[in-house]
Amino acid sequence: MKAAPTPVTRLFKVAAAIFFIYTSVGCDVDSSNNTPPVPTTGLVMYAEANLHESEETAQIAAAVYRDGVPVGLIGGDVFEARTTTQRVLLKDSGSYDGSYAAPLVIDVVQDVFLNVVHEPIEARDDRWYPVDLLNIDPGPGELVGKSATVSFPPEVIITSPASGAIYNSPLDIVDLSWVAIGAAGDAMRVLSLVSCTDGLTRSSYGTVVDIVDDDGLEAIALNNFIFDVNEGSAGIKFISDAAQALLQELLDQLSAGNIDPDFVSKKVEANPISSDCEIRLFLQRQRKGVFDASFDDGLVIGSRSAEVTVNYVSPTPFN
Amino acid sequence: MPAFIQFFIIVLMTVMPVAVHAREIQLDASVLLTAMDAGGNDNFKSGKGLALQYSYYLKQWLAADVGLFVSDQTFTESGRDVVGDYRASIQSKSILLGIKPRHKFSVPYEVYARLGIQYWQTELEVEEYFNESVPGGKTSATDTGTGYYASLGGAHYINDRVVVQLELRHMMQLDVFEGESDYPFDLRINALSFGFGYRF
Repeated sequence: MKAAPTPVTRLFKVAAAIFFIYTSVGCDVDSSNNTPPVPTTGLVMYAEANLHESEETAQIAAAVYRDGVPVGLIGGDVFEARTTTQRVLLKDSGSYDGSYAAPLVIDVVQDVFLNVVHEPIEARDDRWYPVDLLNIDPGPGELVGKSATVSFPPEVIITSPASGAIYNSPLDIVDLSWVAIGAAGDAMRVLSLVSCTDGLTRSSYGTVVDIVDDDGLEAIALNNFIFDVNEGSAGIKFISDAAQALLQELLDQLSAGNIDPDFVSKKVEANPISSDCEIRLFLQRQRKGVFDASFDDGLVIGSRSAEVTVNYVSPTPFN
Repeated sequence: MPAFIQFFIIVLMTVMPVAVHAREIQLDASVLLTAMDAGGNDNFKSGKGLALQYSYYLKQWLAADVGLFVSDQTFTESGRDVVGDYRASIQSKSILLGIKPRHKFSVPYEVYARLGIQYWQTELEVEEYFNESVPGGKTSATDTGTGYYASLGGAHYINDRVVVQLELRHMMQLDVFEGESDYPFDLRINALSFGFGYRF
């Protein structure tokens, strides 16, 4: 059993990495506001949990926004993520503004219940001093008692392409196939993390490809991942901040913490089209959860993911 | 007057009459640059302290050592977590009781050590801040207990009665807030001290 891998967090991180790389190339992405796509009016709940293939720990992230601005939990108010057998407080800062995160062991795939609770002592127990003796408790805040439920969709099983498949042109097609066992309403997408080298310099970035149907097959042109810096990247959809953060977290989990924390934010120095690139494809199935009726709106997503790595080899030797 | 100080004076008054008839007694006063460590992520800043010690030489190379140590209020770096911003500070006093062996080199140099037990009184204060609408405040608690100390120093004789001393000290307070909290800790105070001694 792994110590505490965190699939959702990793996925966030991968997405985050991709975004950073994109901005460094000069694409028109506004990176000034690292928030998920939530409504800008009202009290809004945002929560996301991802369980990666073969991992036993999901990374849970949650936040509350009021009129688009993160609402900080203070004074011992904290998100609690709970299953029937496991429980954790989300005490770490999440990868996007105003979010809180923690890994939660998912020994049996089941719903995760998120509640805002008031735990003045447990919320402080990472501090060094006797927090049960010395704490100033302002009492429960207004968000205590609010809740949401995250449901995981069926697992993702990729059947093709084979890991290590090689492509030589941006016009090549990646025939991505998977076991189509999702339910109606589940959404699919591919997050990619592309790492390139031209022998002298390196580049890495992330992209996202939305998949219309969970029908088990998607033909994706390689130019969704590989582009020519000199000709621009209009055809590529770089991942948003929240997904970028998720992807970075996922990479961190998969590498047991041995990934550069800025891996996804490296500058694009090597032109991908004339480089050799490793393309890690994270196929993700998402399912919407439910949030407390006291929220004006919300976005609660449970997801599961699987990964396959393919390679792009430039037809022109870079030396 | 705090009971802690009263106890120290009683100990001193008990020893003084004996010392009057001793061949050699010494009173040391030192300022300390302290480094506290309570374990975990405490991140204490360096602090200051004072030590007053009284040595009664039982033999040429060995003295009984009685002292008082008082630290300034020493703060940690500010921290932030899911609860809010916080900062802690410690102020401590100790009565020291032990031995002080020494070795005299050729005049005017001497090296010495101290080893003994301590009775401490430590106050821990915590400041917390949440946000503009939910202000925080301060809270504190005090505990007493025992521990030990050890030090190594060097002395330089200015004349027959006055010495200058440089000393490395290690003081350990054990089980601070044991029995009052589920999160007790041991407090280590390492210090570099500079002071003067006067021989009677």
